[in-house]
Amino acid sequence: MNKQEFLKELRKGLSGLPQNDIEDRLSFYGEMIEDQIEEGLREEEAVSKIGSIEEIVKAVIAETPFVKIAKERIKPNRKLGAWEIVLLVLGSPIWISLGVAAVAVVFSLYVALWAVIISFWAVFAALVGCSFGGIISGIIFALGGNLFAGIAMIGSGIVCLGLSVFAFIGCKALSKGILNLTKKATVRIKSRFIKKEGAK
Amino acid sequence: MDIQLKRGLLDICVLAAIKSEDSYGYKIIKDMKPYIELSESTLYTILKRLESGEMLTVRTAEHDGRLRKYYHITDKGLRRIEDFKTDWKEILSIYSFVMKEDIGK
Repeated sequence: MNKQEFLKELRKGLSGLPQNDIEDRLSFYGEMIEDQIEEGLREEEAVSKIGSIEEIVKAVIAETPFVKIAKERIKPNRKLGAWEIVLLVLGSPIWISLGVAAVAVVFSLYVALWAVIISFWAVFAALVGCSFGGIISGIIFALGGNLFAGIAMIGSGIVCLGLSVFAFIGCKALSKGILNLTKKATVRIKSRFIKKEGAK
Repeated sequence: MDIQLKRGLLDICVLAAIKSEDSYGYKIIKDMKPYIELSESTLYTILKRLESGEMLTVRTAEHDGRLRKYYHITDKGLRRIEDFKTDWKEILSIYSFVMKEDIGK
């Protein structure tokens, strides 16, 4: 692939981002390629050293804030006519409430996700609480003369403590997994926005 | 290496690469290469971050019939390097403590 082809492909991959950002990145990579050629590399070699377009696009999408992408997507390509503005204003009761609903859905998804994480940690906290409670009240029982009940309480306290160790490992892995999953999902949603734009 | 730590270190490296004279993208990567590998995309992100943090300024100059961007370190950028040097002394003393405890066993 030569420089022109590389830049053209990259532009296609990045379409959907603000125009300024695209130009800035393209000129950066173009300059890199030129400088490598000046050092004595062949054009194709210089291009392949930059890395795959797919990787670059993925990295760019991951680090561009979602709002920026969404804004670019919603922004009309031309100036609005007077009647369009009138329609927008008249239709505001509908589209504003739809927009609010969409934001609420996204928000509720986030809340649901965190609720899952919190509930798992709550189980962990409960186990720790039970273990300490069990051991302490067991000792009190035992000292109070009710020896067998006391030992049974202490025993179940220790069992809870053991379970809590497993719960901790599980919770940690789970939280990490869920967070990773959200990260991946966000990248995918973002790239969907960009892809649609590029396909037009 | 820890990602946050590495990110901070790369910022300092790029600042150091433009400290003595203004430099451009390809040269920064080339100068750093014997010490630390840096991809073009990573460099772009770092330069943007440093620019928005007012650690460096950018100017475009003509070179060989084409345009090239040169990066110039600001006073704030220079101070960042100095801060790093002081921080590093602290880190080194922590390191020597860790190593001493390790060998002690």
